[in-house]
Amino acid sequence: MVDSKVKQLLLALRAGKVTFAYPFEPRPSEPGFRGRVVVDTDKCTGCGGCADVCPTRCIRIIDVSPTYRIIRRYLERCIHCGRCEDVCRYGAVRLDLEYEIATTDKRDLFIEQHLFMGSCSRCGRCYVPPTPLDRLMVVGFRKDEEV
Amino acid sequence: MVTIERSTEQINQVVSALKERIGDKVLGVEQPTPHRLYVTVAPEAVVAAADALFNGLGARYLISAGVDKRPLNGGFEVLHFFAFDQANVRCALVIPLKGDPPRIPSITPLIPGAGWAEREFKDLLGIIPEGHPDPRPLVLPDGFPEGLYPLRKDYPYDYKPPLDRSKTFPFKEPPEGTTVVTVGPFFPVLEEPSQWRVFLDGEVVVGCDYRGFYNHRAIEKLGDSALTYNQIPMLAERICGICGCVHSTSYCQAVEEAAGIEVPLRAKVIRTLILELERVHSHLLWLGLACHILGFDYVFMQSWRIREPVMWLAEYLTGNRKHFAINLVGGVRRDIVKEQHPRILEVMDKVERETKELADTLLNDMPLLARLKGTGIFTPEEVRLTGAVGPTARGSGVPIDARKDHPYAAYDLVEFDVVTHDGCDNLARTLVRVGEIFESIKIIRQCVKLLQELPEGDLMAELPEEIPPYRHGMHAVEAPRGEVFHYVLTGENNRPYRWRVRAPSYQNIQAVPVMFKPGTTIADVPITLGSVDPCFSCTERMEIVDVKSGEMKVLTEQELYQLSRQKTKELREKNTQ
Ligand code: SF4
Ligand code: SF4
Repeated sequence: MVDSKVKQLLLALRAGKVTFAYPFEPRPSEPGFRGRVVVDTDKCTGCGGCADVCPTRCIRIIDVSPTYRIIRRYLERCIHCGRCEDVCRYGAVRLDLEYEIATTDKRDLFIEQHLFMGSCSRCGRCYVPPTPLDRLMVVGFRKDEEV
Repeated sequence: MVTIERSTEQINQVVSALKERIGDKVLGVEQPTPHRLYVTVAPEAVVAAADALFNGLGARYLISAGVDKRPLNGGFEVLHFFAFDQANVRCALVIPLKGDPPRIPSITPLIPGAGWAEREFKDLLGIIPEGHPDPRPLVLPDGFPEGLYPLRKDYPYDYKPPLDRSKTFPFKEPPEGTTVVTVGPFFPVLEEPSQWRVFLDGEVVVGCDYRGFYNHRAIEKLGDSALTYNQIPMLAERICGICGCVHSTSYCQAVEEAAGIEVPLRAKVIRTLILELERVHSHLLWLGLACHILGFDYVFMQSWRIREPVMWLAEYLTGNRKHFAINLVGGVRRDIVKEQHPRILEVMDKVERETKELADTLLNDMPLLARLKGTGIFTPEEVRLTGAVGPTARGSGVPIDARKDHPYAAYDLVEFDVVTHDGCDNLARTLVRVGEIFESIKIIRQCVKLLQELPEGDLMAELPEEIPPYRHGMHAVEAPRGEVFHYVLTGENNRPYRWRVRAPSYQNIQAVPVMFKPGTTIADVPITLGSVDPCFSCTERMEIVDVKSGEMKVLTEQELYQLSRQKTKELREKNTQ
């Protein structure tokens, strides 16, 4: 009994201090961490692949007219799974290493994109000019296309 | 390992036993893989069929599921699942039901462990189990409108009916002359908000009543009406905050089985590795919390310190310390490449060494042992009747372990022992978990070795254009707390038609009342509840109602711990005298 108490004491002493000084000292996350969602609006073609796969369905697509599409990302619901990053063929959406994104105002986590699209005279779907054909050839219009 | 011949033999035996027992009431036999059997039986023969499997052939009861099949064939369906652990066979009795409300003879008098499952399909689908010994509501909130059944297909997933607040829950009447201690609705020992009413004579427990499902999240409903196949793994992972990966793996395996998708070997090994990482951290967490309940905060802090590097490792490998989001139907999303292997081994060495030291000091600590030994007795026969799984069962010497009995992922390629213990008490369950930490570390090392041998990059199977609708898949994963079971009936629109989840605590909590043997004192209640390892969430309060005087006393979390710790202190003093 006394013996085991001594052992416990030694174990604790050997461990020493393990607490970090965070937040007074930065603790950067390692590569591969799934942090904040960032969107590069220049690269986004508005294909809607990310909205299709998002498990929390926090990406909403609104087609105002055949040539005008709004993408709204309500990222307060985002669970940082990274599926949007997986399916985006253009690298328009990415999860970076930032994790200090807690906020009291959920509008801080809201991203809205306005895209002016051309619409295909055959299928009526919209696409972003100016290289519609190239883009149509490769984009995942279907749900859960190979990832 | 169990051979396919052994499984086939078992399946033939089941079919002939059923045919012999109920004759032409067997309406159909389906055997999609060598390890799965679906037998359609007529409703009036269900009790006889269940008896033939459970008592006649020694099957283990898993769970029951109700399905609303009216859009397909105008009726309902109930499935009772059984496992034959020695033969790697899982079998379902499929019972088609007609009429509204549909009725089915209850199997609970035969198999007590089916009690909740039958109450659940009564609540959620309106299928009435006739002859159920305890037909009180289970899942639905108080005052939920009658005749509304949330899991039926015509009930929209986002509909919220008005509740009749005047209705209250019919709790069991306490036995004459006892005191009722209400623990909950937010209880420190249980993961979900749940309420236990413990009936006391003096300080000795003479009975108890349970009410749970205060925070039912309708996950199954979301899965079969709002999400798609590959969105569900992320939701499945959130069923439990501690062992999430087991659910997503189990779900994906069920869909893969239904669709006949063969997952690449490398993906299987990665799943195995991640699952074992999860077990290591979960058991260390449990060890800390169990000792915390008993007042050994030293162990609590040390085991959580040892656990932390495991969490960092998980974050390094998957991108998040807890919700790994690594599984998809068909494979895994991230590879574990060569550069990452040394770090895995390094962390495992450290965790192994430190856990060994900690376990060493623990198992010589007399007061701790005295608190665990001989409390919460749970016999092997009770394991069978309640359907308890995992360390709860293995602590009673019942060697059921889905990893060995029904190998999945890459468990047939690694070597490990199933840790069992014959003590049948809280101590035995603790020892089983400590032993499993070391087995898991052994498995992780072997997985790293396998990964080194396999070519990198082959992670996802080719998915078919469409997952074929209306096929069954059932799969289980051995979670830290026991076997997690998922049943999927595939459907149209890229989503399951029915998805049934059984978490291990679903069976294990039903076993807790059995563990309160005569002589258990109120101070032993927290650790006995804790020993089945439902996750511990913070408490709000508990009440002591003295039936005789009608006086009500509210115990805070502090006071509850106090009770439990006081007993330890007394023991300690006794020990040093
Ligand atoms: S998948 Fe990429 S390109 Fe398509 S809408 Fe989303 S962010 Fe834009
Ligand atoms: S990370 Fe996941 S939850 Fe967040 S926006 Fe992308 S797909 Fe949706």
